[in-house]
Amino acid sequence: MNLFTRKSRHGDREDAMEREIDFHIDELTEAYIAQGMSREEARRRARFEFGGSEQVKQTMREVHISAWIEAVLFNLRAALRFLRKSPSFSIVVIFTLALGIGANSAVFSAIDAVVLRPLPYPGGDQLVTLSQYDTRGRDANTLVAPIRLEDWNRMNATFTAISGYYLDDISETSGPLAEKVTEALVAPRFFDVMGVWPALGRAFRPDEMHYGGPRAVIISHRYWLSRFHGDPNAVGSKIRIEDRDYPVVGIMPASFQFPSVDADLWEPSPMDGPFEVNRNLTWFNVIGRMKPGVTLHQAGADLATVQAKLGKQFPHPDAELGINSESLKQVTVGKTPSSLWLLYSAVSLLLLIACSNIAALLLARTADREHEVSVRYSLGASRRSIVLQLLTEVFVLALLGSLAGLAVAAVSVPGFKLLSATLPRADEISLNWSIAFYTLLAAVVTTLLCGLLPALRGTRKGLAHSLALTSRTQVSTRNPVQWFLVGVQVTLAVTLLLGAGLLLRSMQQLGLVDAGFDTGHVLTFQVSGSWAETTDMKSVVQRIDRTLDALRTIPGVEAASTSAMLPGVSSKYQMEFKIDGNLDAGNRILADERLVSDGYFEAMRIPQLAGGPCERTSSTGDVVVNRSFASRYFNGNLPVGHSLQDAAGSPYIGARIIRGIVGDAREDGLDKQPVPTVYFCFSAPNPFPNYLVRTRDDPMAMAQTIRQKLHEIEPGRSVYALMPLQQHLDEASSENRLRTWLLTLFAATAVTLACVGLYGTLSYLARLRQREVGVRLALGALRGQIAAGFLSHGMRVASAGCVAGIMLGLALSRFLKGMLYGVTALDPLTYAGVVSLVLSVAALASLVPALRAARLDPNRVLREE
Amino acid sequence: MTPLEKTDLLQGTLDLLILKVVALGPVHGYGISQRIRQISKDVLQVQQGSLYPALHRLEKRGWLFADWGESDNGREAKFYRLSAKGRKQLAQEEHTWERLSNAVALILQTVE
Repeated sequence: MNLFTRKSRHGDREDAMEREIDFHIDELTEAYIAQGMSREEARRRARFEFGGSEQVKQTMREVHISAWIEAVLFNLRAALRFLRKSPSFSIVVIFTLALGIGANSAVFSAIDAVVLRPLPYPGGDQLVTLSQYDTRGRDANTLVAPIRLEDWNRMNATFTAISGYYLDDISETSGPLAEKVTEALVAPRFFDVMGVWPALGRAFRPDEMHYGGPRAVIISHRYWLSRFHGDPNAVGSKIRIEDRDYPVVGIMPASFQFPSVDADLWEPSPMDGPFEVNRNLTWFNVIGRMKPGVTLHQAGADLATVQAKLGKQFPHPDAELGINSESLKQVTVGKTPSSLWLLYSAVSLLLLIACSNIAALLLARTADREHEVSVRYSLGASRRSIVLQLLTEVFVLALLGSLAGLAVAAVSVPGFKLLSATLPRADEISLNWSIAFYTLLAAVVTTLLCGLLPALRGTRKGLAHSLALTSRTQVSTRNPVQWFLVGVQVTLAVTLLLGAGLLLRSMQQLGLVDAGFDTGHVLTFQVSGSWAETTDMKSVVQRIDRTLDALRTIPGVEAASTSAMLPGVSSKYQMEFKIDGNLDAGNRILADERLVSDGYFEAMRIPQLAGGPCERTSSTGDVVVNRSFASRYFNGNLPVGHSLQDAAGSPYIGARIIRGIVGDAREDGLDKQPVPTVYFCFSAPNPFPNYLVRTRDDPMAMAQTIRQKLHEIEPGRSVYALMPLQQHLDEASSENRLRTWLLTLFAATAVTLACVGLYGTLSYLARLRQREVGVRLALGALRGQIAAGFLSHGMRVASAGCVAGIMLGLALSRFLKGMLYGVTALDPLTYAGVVSLVLSVAALASLVPALRAARLDPNRVLREE
Repeated sequence: MTPLEKTDLLQGTLDLLILKVVALGPVHGYGISQRIRQISKDVLQVQQGSLYPALHRLEKRGWLFADWGESDNGREAKFYRLSAKGRKQLAQEEHTWERLSNAVALILQTVE
């Protein structure tokens, strides 16, 4: 019954009231005319006598409204009576719905937090990240020079303001032990762009944003609690960073965690220092706030004209640069939404299965309640009112189920946060009114899905005569609707299983890949350092080499090295090279670039194929290439001894001699094929590189020893992010694992529900056909034949469900694109496995009721007649 | 005799009168008000403002059925019939009314 027909019903009623009143007035008028009045006089008299017809109509309307309320209350009371009368049925339904609706609400709460809700900044949808790119594709650097950032901010027409930031790890040294602190260095206008200001204290003053101006920091709420124990007098006190004091001028609100949840401090990064005017020195991540009403597309076009102007003014390098703009929300949530939508579809299918299961249960019940329904008909109830009563029963069940479901969701929300460390915005997932409203909506939809069909079928006209019949003598029906519902359950379960199966197969394939490096027994950590040290690179290199030497003296350490990026964790950084100074435009030399120290290939156990490894002694700065690079760009010739140069001609990277070739390794992620890679031998890619230490035994057992050793040689520095390399790799694939296991869990639940549906329907059918079976047995039918008959009925429906499920699975398989590894969406092994699994559990579920039906004692049944 | 005022009708009495009149055969709203007047010899005059809401209420309760049909002079009118439930209700209310009026009569007949 949709809104439209309800409205027209209402219109009908108004119209009928009008006609009824008109009739009365007309009759009265006629009566007065008969008494000798003139028509006009009679009409006036009749109207007067009738009184205010509008008032009468209003009273009549009230009759209908109060009748409606009465009907609702009556139905609710009847529903509660019904639930009390059949507690086990009610509990089964409520439990099923609690799981179905609960899982649905839990996944929806994640979608709500990650995808639907705006970022937790005022007008967060207007925030855009900006980056530069090399239009010739030779340089993968996307960071922006400060002077260019200022140009963009000054010359654009579509942004309220543009600012930028970069992160630095520093040591706070006022305590007995140096403590690592994460600092965000911010360009002017940073807080204007974010739209958030300190909750206590103030933002930076203009003089603090200039080179050589007064020092100032703003601290995070978290740091305020941990370092100052929430003391409001923290504003105005000082913290000590390395050897300088910084006054705290403000404290940010707890909700502000940009650019990172780890950010402890914000410090001004002046734009007018000596390095800041160089257009080639780039280090800012840029973020801008678009003016209200401006779209991303308009902003992009505006920035393109700005950059074109800069290109004319500074042909090198600005003419070769383009600007990328992406919404901050898009950048923040990344690719996660597709995983979440996948899970959401899965839980929705699960809820559908639960609904058809309950619908089948209700159908069986309404058959039992024919008597009750026919009594109500004979008492003058309309079909509509009986349908409403039956739906009210289901609604009460659905409401109770969804309340329990909210509890299920409340339990699973913290689980979500635990399960996936990489889920963006996970800390924003919470139960709120929109989730409660969603759950209520789910209850209404569930009511209609579960209840409408049984209610309509249970109240068909013509059933009234069944009052005269007793159910025992009733001829068995074929119950096509119930079998259709079972078929739907099997279909959806097969679809879910196919998805889960494909993901599981992908995980299995991923487990089989040869990474090309050995992740076991490798400990990773970082030692605090600051970008400020890079003014004297020589001493940074010396410090890091000294640290490596110290590590290698520890007994139980087999190898130690540094690396700019962790192996196996995605971090694409591609460069274009010239070989021996020659640039061949038709055959571009593209390769991933990685910066590693001596000892790296030993620590990672990447085999040396030719030449030598990275060595510290070389003064020129050598490189090592992998096998893919050698075979793709040297056509079988030995590359050792040739030189590589940056094709972009950056003056900071001179010609490098290729010292050796190593084996291919999946450095950019286990799920990605190795690509041509150039390893630059350089131990200090930044002041706080990743250390990789190969240990003889359990790497974590060495953690304390390593900490102590480092404290001896670097007492002013902190060691952090200490964990086995394997853990990094696990975290990198945690989203994949989460969605695979959740989908598998949902699919298993789906199969269970479908089997319960099959079992229940077959049992019900067998009970309905007891008499027929009894007669057949008495006439000499074999028990085996009876059992086979029921079994084949169940299996026919299951097979039809499998076929439909495979077709649905084929149609939906494109949703898995990008989530599969090593299998196609049409993997025959998965399809065969799912079909045989479903058919065998379906056979088991059918066998029990089939055998029970065949064990019937014909004497007993026939005696009962 | 002057007709009784509407307020003089006991609460619930109107329902009884309507059920009784409808029990005589299908009839429309105007017919009901005329019959009550005629049978009571003009003592009882039902206000239309009470009659129609009462009819709809009785219909909602399932005591009356309503259908559209043709009146004596060939016009379309809404006819009310008594349902099985309504017949039961009428019997019960008649019984209640009898007991009530007997009780009132007994009190009024008491000699001072």
